[in-house]
Amino acid sequence: MKKPKGTYILHVLIPLIAIVLGVAVSFVLIALTGISPIATFRELWKGAFGMTGKVWPLWITLGQSTPLILTGLSAMCAFRVGVFCIAQESQYVFGAIVAAWLGVALSLPSWILIPLVLLCSMAAGALAAEIPALLKVKLGVNEIISSIMVNNISTLVLEYLVAFPMRADAGQKAQSAVLPQKLWLFQFIKGSRWGVSFVIAVLLAVGLYFLLWKTSFGYEVRMVGQSPRFSQYGGVSAGGVTLGMMAISGALAGLAGSMEVLGNYHRIMTGFSSGLGFDGLSVAMLGLSHPLGVFIVAILLAGIRQGAQLGLQINLQVPRELGGVLIALIILFVALENIYKPHVEAWVKRLEGGKTKAAE
Amino acid sequence: MAEIIRFDKLSKYYASTNVQASNEVSFSIEQGEVHAICGENGAGKTTLMRMLFGMETPDSGSLLLDGKPVSFASPSDAISAGIGMVHQHFMIVPSFSVSENIMLGNEQVSHGFLDKQEERNYVRDLSERYGLPIDPDAIASSLPVGLLQRVEILKMLAKKVRILILDEPTAVLTPGEVGPFLHTLTGLAHDGYTILFISHKLQEVLTVADRITVMRKGQVIGTKPSRGTTMEELAMMMVGRPVVLNIQKGPAHPGSVVLKTHDLTYRNSLGVTKLDHVSLSIRAGEVYGVAGVSGNGQEALVNCLSGLNKPTEGSMELEGQDLTNASVRTRRNHGMAQVPEDRIHVGLNMDASVEENLLMGFEHREPFSLHGILQQREMQENAGRMIKAYAIFGASAESPVRMLSGGNMQKVVLARELSSKPRLLIVDQPTRGLDVGSIEFVHRMILSQRDQGVAVLLVSVELEEILSLSDRVGVMYAGRLQGELEGKQITQEAIGMLMVGGSV
Amino acid sequence: MHDILSVLSLNLLMSTIRLTTPILLAALAAALCNKAGVLNLAIEGEMLLGSFVAIVVTYCLNKYTPLGVVNPTLSTYLGVVVSILFGGVLGVLMAWLHTKWGVDLVIFSIAFNMLASEITVFLMRAVFHQNGTWTDSSIVQLPTLAGGYNIIVYASWICVIFCMILYRATRFGRHLKAVGEAPEAAASVGISVRNVQYIALIAGGALSTLGGSFLSVGHLTLFTRDMAAGRGWLGNAAALFGFNNPGGTFLASLFFGFADALALRLQNVTKIPPYMIQVMPYVLTLVILGFVSWRAQKNAQKYQL
Repeated sequence: MKKPKGTYILHVLIPLIAIVLGVAVSFVLIALTGISPIATFRELWKGAFGMTGKVWPLWITLGQSTPLILTGLSAMCAFRVGVFCIAQESQYVFGAIVAAWLGVALSLPSWILIPLVLLCSMAAGALAAEIPALLKVKLGVNEIISSIMVNNISTLVLEYLVAFPMRADAGQKAQSAVLPQKLWLFQFIKGSRWGVSFVIAVLLAVGLYFLLWKTSFGYEVRMVGQSPRFSQYGGVSAGGVTLGMMAISGALAGLAGSMEVLGNYHRIMTGFSSGLGFDGLSVAMLGLSHPLGVFIVAILLAGIRQGAQLGLQINLQVPRELGGVLIALIILFVALENIYKPHVEAWVKRLEGGKTKAAE
Repeated sequence: MAEIIRFDKLSKYYASTNVQASNEVSFSIEQGEVHAICGENGAGKTTLMRMLFGMETPDSGSLLLDGKPVSFASPSDAISAGIGMVHQHFMIVPSFSVSENIMLGNEQVSHGFLDKQEERNYVRDLSERYGLPIDPDAIASSLPVGLLQRVEILKMLAKKVRILILDEPTAVLTPGEVGPFLHTLTGLAHDGYTILFISHKLQEVLTVADRITVMRKGQVIGTKPSRGTTMEELAMMMVGRPVVLNIQKGPAHPGSVVLKTHDLTYRNSLGVTKLDHVSLSIRAGEVYGVAGVSGNGQEALVNCLSGLNKPTEGSMELEGQDLTNASVRTRRNHGMAQVPEDRIHVGLNMDASVEENLLMGFEHREPFSLHGILQQREMQENAGRMIKAYAIFGASAESPVRMLSGGNMQKVVLARELSSKPRLLIVDQPTRGLDVGSIEFVHRMILSQRDQGVAVLLVSVELEEILSLSDRVGVMYAGRLQGELEGKQITQEAIGMLMVGGSV
Repeated sequence: MHDILSVLSLNLLMSTIRLTTPILLAALAAALCNKAGVLNLAIEGEMLLGSFVAIVVTYCLNKYTPLGVVNPTLSTYLGVVVSILFGGVLGVLMAWLHTKWGVDLVIFSIAFNMLASEITVFLMRAVFHQNGTWTDSSIVQLPTLAGGYNIIVYASWICVIFCMILYRATRFGRHLKAVGEAPEAAASVGISVRNVQYIALIAGGALSTLGGSFLSVGHLTLFTRDMAAGRGWLGNAAALFGFNNPGGTFLASLFFGFADALALRLQNVTKIPPYMIQVMPYVLTLVILGFVSWRAQKNAQKYQL
């Protein structure tokens, strides 16, 4: 399993090269459809990070990046402890369900209710994460397949709930009741979806950095993820550490779900989770499983999707799926790293050799 | 008898471990004989057989079969030339039947489909002809180890080999199975097969072999007929000339008993007894050396002591505290430290820095951790101190540990384990793969710990190391403590005899 | 009660078989690869691409060759054939990347599945200018043969029987099992582990794309985004459910197909939500996975001499 290391130059180069290669292949694809690739990427950029119009695309991108940061951090936590868990989607969904339910069912003052809802969603996400985690730790079940199963279960549970018990109106749409306005999370710029949740996400990223690199528990997590035999020899309870970290992982994804309900959609509906979970793991992989990397890549990925939606689809009539294609290509090139890594390593060595020679 | 195989100045050097595994090995094997190849670990026996079976290619020299030079690129080539090998770790498909395993790669086919009846008959015939009774329909996963070995032998016979190589074949057999097995070998030789077997168990070798070749450190010491040779002679040839002791070792002043084991036994899931009722005790301030050819229970012993495996029977105490089923962390907290055999995958985390490697086991203790938060400055200062004290050149606290040389890596492990001020220090093959300077450093560290009152358990297959460091010696053979020696009793000859299953 | 009983009818049987077929093909692909010791997580993506290729090739043949007028059914058959070949090529690619470059097939599969999903929709919109669903009047679905099902359904059953014969009675089948269970044992008698895994991935790819083509031209004649809708993953699950044996895999796939069909019928007839039934396969798979892994753990300890 790929276990990304720290922030050495070589390791940062791999995602950068993957991005360049992904862009290059996208260029070719766009050219095949007859539209200018350069114009396309210019529109993509403007749609992602532009600073024009009533609501700047930049703010929208930042708003869209919030759940990606959180699911990216969630995947990062799993990867760091050596579990290739891709069940972020299920944790996200369960968190959202809890938020949509409690937000309507309980009537408490907002300053109590909002933190309560968020905490309960985190608990739901943590529990959901322990399903693949326990199966792996106790029974050795492959966490990828169990993740897919749990993801599917969560989707079906969601569909059932919005169609029947939590259904708000007897009309066409299957969706739950709208949360009272007092629970809507504050947005910095109306209509951008960028608000308090973004700040919380950033604070959590900083907190996780602290947890992983500055605490005893974080040390044990990293050692278990990098070398389980070494940890076992050193007396660390690998199972306990894994289950603990996976709870944190699930809580983060569950929080993402509930913040999207509180701060964005204000309800859950059929089709609520649209593959967001997989974006989370892309962010973690490209971001080298580091909070800073996750932050940057989450904004980048949100920008690509947003830019594709706004810039390409609306302005250029280029299908917005191109954004998804670009992202998938980048991940593909990361998967193919073994092919070009030796060349990059040799090139870096030559550069460093040249530097020492110059110093002599 | 005619010569069938000749090894002519075969040499093989492994750069990765800096070892000359074969050094101009030259001797010959006669057709139809049972020829044993004996030696300690690292003598070169396995390397030689791997070259014969096409799993390795020699750097220089030649291999002659029936007088003609041959070279094998893979085991298939060797098998086609009539050479078969039964490995120490069986190549069995657990869910297949005996017949399917034996005929793997050699299937009988009629009209494009497998002819299972034909295969069964063939296997039955084969097993009857060679006196190796076995049920062709039994499922491999249900068979005991002795029968699985029979399957391996029959597999080779089915491929119509003339020469059969067996690598430590009796290592997995119960005492009751050894006799019939040796009888089988004699029978095969009578039928014209040439048997080559690697073993360090001299009693068995003398029973069944026609001639014996002894190797040491990649070289052939000599080839002798078994008739007229004694175990003492062979043991002496195996362990070699007297060793020059480089270390100045003062007398031991042992204190109270630190470690005590009672009938410590470990049986693995296949039912093989890896550790057989071992009772020993080690006192503070002495070095107890565990000698023996590797694979005689040393690994099981260390694993049971360190907590990685739970013993099947028996118990152990550390300073009076029963720790038989205690966790690794509990043992460490009670003063047990271990320098493991595999420093790369177990003793260290290759993906981490020196500082992080030094922290393992201490991450919850002051001063490195206050309320769960790591104290970076303490960690760094500690790393700096260790690097200076242990002379770990070319390293800083943040250096990735994989950049260090073998010797420096071992220093990091030692630094960490010794800094816990242990009561019992287990060191397992501590100088494997190290250069002379590092070896000396490690030996000095071990003796200094002993002089400070630590009980040291030294497990090593290097006889020189055992001789120069140990105050007492226990020799492992077939999972048992074959014998214990103290003081003046610790001689090369005595250890050699015990190592091969003899007595003093 | 009467409502529920009325559900059990010939219609239910037919829709079960219809819904089972793609899952069965995916499951056979997964089982074959698992038996050879390769974990193939790209089946979902392969299926999706198979759907797309089948329908696009059919369309092109109808549009650019006389077949559209003369014999549109033949172009559908050819579309399926090309889809199968394409699957084989995908298998070659995966095997090559894995054996030559040591590419991690797990991460590759995730990227591959993502790419398949996005690029099929992208092409559907960029080339055919359709948003959600694409179809064309010239495309004819595969004809129903004697017995009431089209050729792919019968082909899937033949594949099951073929796999059974393969494992029980052929040399290659035995080699494949050995490679999956004890690769060193296989290598020590001269079997090429690499070649066996190549063949497994190629066959797996072909079976997956065949299953995909059933979705797009076998019953309906259209392509929608994410057409595979998780059937590739159900195939992985069914294979594990059936312990990678052809017979068990068939029964497991049938069970999944039946659950789906039943859920749909019940939705039409009663007010029982289909989700309860649809969720069962996934839950049961988790249970079976737990059991299978627990057993494998116990057995693995046995061979650590």
